[in-house]
Amino acid sequence: MQEISFLIILVLLLYTMIAVVDQISIQCGLYSPLFAATFTGLLLGDLQTGLIIGATLQLMTLGVATYGGATVPDYLSGAIMGTSYAIISGEGAEYGIAVAIPIGLLLTQMDVLGRMSNSFFQHYGDRCAERGDWKGMEKANLLGLIPWELSRLIPVALGLFFGEAVVTSINALIPAWFMTGLRTAGAILPAMGMAILMRYLPLKKYYPYFIIGFVLLAYGGSLFTVMAAALLGVALAALHFSRGKDRAVATASGDVAMFDDEEVEIDG
Amino acid sequence: MANGTERKLTKQDINKVYVRNLFALQFGWNYEKMQGLGYTYVIMPALKRLYGDDPEKMKRALKMQSSYFNTTPGTSHLIVGADMALEEEIGIESEEAVSALKTGLMGPLAGVGDTLFIAIYRAIVFSIAAYVAMQGNPVGLIVPLLACAAVLWVRYKFTWMGYQSGRKLATGFADSIAPITEAASILGLTVVGALIPSVVNYSTNLAFTMGDVTFAVQDMLDKIMPKMLPLGIVMLSY
Repeated sequence: MQEISFLIILVLLLYTMIAVVDQISIQCGLYSPLFAATFTGLLLGDLQTGLIIGATLQLMTLGVATYGGATVPDYLSGAIMGTSYAIISGEGAEYGIAVAIPIGLLLTQMDVLGRMSNSFFQHYGDRCAERGDWKGMEKANLLGLIPWELSRLIPVALGLFFGEAVVTSINALIPAWFMTGLRTAGAILPAMGMAILMRYLPLKKYYPYFIIGFVLLAYGGSLFTVMAAALLGVALAALHFSRGKDRAVATASGDVAMFDDEEVEIDG
Repeated sequence: MANGTERKLTKQDINKVYVRNLFALQFGWNYEKMQGLGYTYVIMPALKRLYGDDPEKMKRALKMQSSYFNTTPGTSHLIVGADMALEEEIGIESEEAVSALKTGLMGPLAGVGDTLFIAIYRAIVFSIAAYVAMQGNPVGLIVPLLACAAVLWVRYKFTWMGYQSGRKLATGFADSIAPITEAASILGLTVVGALIPSVVNYSTNLAFTMGDVTFAVQDMLDKIMPKMLPLGIVMLSY
């Protein structure tokens, strides 16, 4: 089994630090399983495995988001650790996915802990507000970042330092049929992610477009790609938009035409 | 109209608020007031400009601003901009109006924002990136980065839109956002529809043998409709 070098662990911890900020702010991608797993794969010398793990996890979690502050599984840490374990044990992408999911679910508790800890800074900030101490309030908000970071950094650091031990115990403790089950689940879970996502989209109203997208790739899988479907979707949306505008214009000119007819009749 | 001291926000003040709004709105997130502490931090440059020389006004502003707040970070810029406009025009006496504005808008803007900036954004951007990555191609990762740059620009526009519209924001924006949300929903649904057959790779090895003839179940299903099982799994989960 390969060992994870100290330097790589440091770089991954640094990545986690930046990714956490990304996660609670602009969300440009670093926090996503796709980026995290790919970067980990790159560092450990197996980009392909990282890509597959990242892409699969990403699709699974498409519908998962912290709406209104709900707590979600920590797939950032799960992706980093899952990819690391998959590569150092040589077990491949499916193993990584199978391991990343329970890790992410377990780490949910760390997220809750981190958010709860910030109440301490909230109370400090409230006291500053009473005094009119705006500098103190600014400090309070900035310090709130620390629990966020620790809730991810501590598990990732522990998980990576004891990488070998973790992998060995996973293999020893979890029966083979369970791992097969997890692997199969990994294949189907993107479906789950998509179903959750669909919940947020107006399926009943716009189901024809859903059918179009499905038909395009189901029947024409070798001819089309998802990008093609996206372009078609843009075209359809634009058509929908302009049809709506045309209807409004038609009503207006309809009124004018009626007016003209009356004029003609009077003249005739 | 006068707020007594003729204090006006500079362009730099508003830009500083924009940057803080991008990054630090959720640093202090906690279950009690959620983004409340962050909001105060975000709008601080404006508060400093408007009330910096009057500790009493600053105290009132701080207490009002640090109340419970939670909305989609992407759309929060509209509220922050409008807040700044109100306080600049009316001064500290606007505190009730600002409080009402924040409370009234955070819900609807969260609804719209979550759908646009989270659900639909991911359905399109991250699914395309993930699909390309599934083929073993890291180039797909550029897509989210480019989309993010576009969103940063949109959020910048939001800050200034909110600022310029002030209080009129609430109804005006709600009217024009509807068609945009609809169009984006159409796009999102088409992409998700396409993703299911291409990415959910489940097929069955079941086969029936009757006498000399073997029926492969998957072939039969394919004749009815290809990729039926992936679609079935998704619809069951839905």
